[in-house]
Amino acid sequence: MYTIIRRLICSMCMVFLLTGTAFALDGNEILRQVDANMQPQSYEMYRKLINIEPDGKKKEFVLYTVKSGQDKMVALFISPASEEGRATLRLGDNMWLYIPNVGKPLRITSLQSVVGGIFNNSDILRLDYGVEYDAVSATEDDKFYQLDLKAKTPSVAYDHLKMMVDKETLLPLTIECYAISGMLIKSLHYSKIKDFGDGMVRPSVLETDSPLHKGYRSVMLFAKVDKRDFADEVFTLNYLAKINELRK
Amino acid sequence: MNYESKTSAYLDKVQTGFAVLLLLTGTVCLPDGVHAGDEFSFEFIEIEKKPYKAGGYIELRGEHLDINQGSVFSGLNLSDPELSTMDLLHGSVQLDGSYEYGITSFKVQLNAVGQQDNFGWSDLAVINSAYLTLQPTPAVTFSLGKQSYKWGKGYAWNPAGFINRRKDPNNPEDALEGYITVESDIIKSWQSGHLQTAALTMAVLPVWEGVNEDFGEADRLNLAAKLYLLYMDTDIDLIVLAGDSQSSRIGLDFSTNLAPHFELHGEAAYIPELKKTYLEEDNSTSIHEESAFSSLLGIRYLSENDITSIVEYYYNGGGYSKEEMTRFYQMAAIGLDQNPELGSVLLTRAREVSLKGYGRPQPGRHYIYAKMSQKEPFDLLYFAPGIMALVNLADQSYSISPEAVYTGFTNWELRLKFSLINGEEYSEYGEKVNSNKLELRARYFF
Repeated sequence: MYTIIRRLICSMCMVFLLTGTAFALDGNEILRQVDANMQPQSYEMYRKLINIEPDGKKKEFVLYTVKSGQDKMVALFISPASEEGRATLRLGDNMWLYIPNVGKPLRITSLQSVVGGIFNNSDILRLDYGVEYDAVSATEDDKFYQLDLKAKTPSVAYDHLKMMVDKETLLPLTIECYAISGMLIKSLHYSKIKDFGDGMVRPSVLETDSPLHKGYRSVMLFAKVDKRDFADEVFTLNYLAKINELRK
Repeated sequence: MNYESKTSAYLDKVQTGFAVLLLLTGTVCLPDGVHAGDEFSFEFIEIEKKPYKAGGYIELRGEHLDINQGSVFSGLNLSDPELSTMDLLHGSVQLDGSYEYGITSFKVQLNAVGQQDNFGWSDLAVINSAYLTLQPTPAVTFSLGKQSYKWGKGYAWNPAGFINRRKDPNNPEDALEGYITVESDIIKSWQSGHLQTAALTMAVLPVWEGVNEDFGEADRLNLAAKLYLLYMDTDIDLIVLAGDSQSSRIGLDFSTNLAPHFELHGEAAYIPELKKTYLEEDNSTSIHEESAFSSLLGIRYLSENDITSIVEYYYNGGGYSKEEMTRFYQMAAIGLDQNPELGSVLLTRAREVSLKGYGRPQPGRHYIYAKMSQKEPFDLLYFAPGIMALVNLADQSYSISPEAVYTGFTNWELRLKFSLINGEEYSEYGEKVNSNKLELRARYFF
C-alpha cells in the first residue's frame, strides 16, 4: 500500500513538473532562436544607413560588415567618399575607430555615433542579443512573445530592452531600448522579411526613432548576408586598414 | 580539360549569358537589391567591388591673420615689418588610389598645395605614400615603398612615434608624408586568455642620397619595430628604433577604457644619446649629447550630453627650458632692434638655431592640450562645435581656438575656426607671427 501511494505521489509530481515545463516560457531560449534566425555566427554583409531629418533631407552611408564568433565584428564604410575607409572594430566590450588620414585606431564607446543620427556604435556593431542581455521575463499572446531583457554588464549600451517577437517566425518586430533610469532612448522596428539564401530568412529593414530626437528617423537596409569564416587576425587593429581587401 | 569540367564551363557560360540577357532586358531584378517601400533602395551597384579605387578631396581655405607686430617670429619670417594683417588663400588636392590583384595591392596618396598670400604665390606637390603590399595570409603582410607612420597613442603629440612625421596639434587628423621602408607585419590572435592579440611590425628605413634624406645621417640603415599587445583589454605598444641615422631610442604606449566612457592613454620614450643644439650665453651655438625622457598622459571622456573631451599633458624631454627659450628670443629681439648692419649677424644666428630646434612647433618642455567638442547640440544633425586649447605651461602662453564643423552636405566638410594666440614677451605664443587667425575651410570629398 505504502509503495503504491509513493508511486502515485511520484507520478503526480512528474506530471506536474512536465506540464509546468511545457507551459513556462524560457525567454533565453526564445532569444537564442531569435539570434540564430537573425544572423549566422560568422558572416559578411552589406548595410545602408539612412538618416532622415524632419525636413526630409537624407544622408546615406554604406557599410561592409564582417563578424566572427560571438564578439568579434568589423564595419567598414564604403561610401560616401567623405567616410570611405573608416572602420570600426569591436572585440567584446572594446571598440575602436580607424580613420585613414589619422592612421591609427582610437578607442570609442558604444553610445557614441560615428555616423550621426539615431544609430549609435552599438547599433552598428551589434552582437547577438543573447551575448549582451539576459531574458528576465517572457510573456505571450496569440501572435507575439514579449521579452524583457536586462544587460549583463554596465558597459552594454542600453540597460534593458523590451523585445516583441513574432511567434511564427521567431524574428523580432520591435525593440524598445531603455536607459538605467527607465527613460526610453529609442525604438527599433524590423520589417520586410527577405530570403537572403542559405536558409537565412530575416528582416531586411530596420527603422529607428527616438523621443530624444523628435522628427528624426534612421533606417538600416540589409543586403547580401552571407555565411563566411574569417581568421581571428582580421579582427585586430593592425588589420583595420586592410578590411576592404576581404570584399569579393 | 576533361568532359565534366568542359560541360561545367559551358553551363557557366550559358548561365552567365542568360543572366546578362535577363538583366539587359530588365526581366529580373538583382537578388540583393532591397527596397523599403518606395522610399529607400539598396542596389547591387552600390556594393560592387572593383579592383581599383580612386578618390580624395579638394580643399579651399581662406585665412585672415592679425600680425603680431614686433614679435620675434614676425621679424624673422616676414620681410615687411610694417605688415599688420595678412590674408591668404590656400587650395589643395589630395588623391588616393589603390589597385588590388590577388594577394598584392598598390596604394598611393598624392598631395598638391598652392597658396596665394601677401607675398605672392607658392606651391608644393608631395607623394605622401606609394607602396606595394603582399599579403599571403591575413596574419602576414609584407610591403615596400613610401608609407606614412602614425605610431603612438597621443592625439596631439607622439613622443614614441619614432618614424612618424611631426604632426600639427592644430590639425592632428591631417595626412602626413611617409618614409620609404621595407616592412613586415605579423599578427597572432588567441581565443582565450589575457593576451588576446600580439602583432609585430618591423620596418627597415634606409637613408641614402634621394631616399629619406630628412630622416637623419645619410648612407645608414635603420630598423624600427613595434610590438602591439592587446592584454586584458589594454592596448600596449613596445617601440624601438635602432640605427645610425638618428640615435637609438625605445618607447612604449598604452590605451585602455577605465569605464565605458572614460579612456586613458599614455606614451613614454627614452633617447639615451640625443644630439641637441644649444644657444650659449655669448650667442654661440654648441651641440650636446644627452639622454632625454619624454612622456604623455591623456584622457578621452564622453559625457552624458555627448561632449567629448580630450586632455593631454606632454613632457618634452628633448625640449628647451623657459630660460633657454628666453635667451633665444632675447638674442633675436636685439638683432631686430639694431640697425640692419649690426643686427644681421644676430638675426642670421637666430634663423640658424630656429631651424635647429628653437623654432620648431612646441620647442618647450611642458604642454597641455585640451579639446572639447559637442556632437549635434540642439538636434542640429552633423554639426559639431568645439574649442581647443594649447598651453605652454612653462611660460603660460597659449592658443585658444573655438571652431564649428558641419558635415551635413554629402561629401562636404565645412569648418570655421578662430584662434587667439597670446602670451607675455619672450614666451612661445607671445612671439608667434600672428596674434590671431580666422579660418574658413571647405573640403569636398570624391
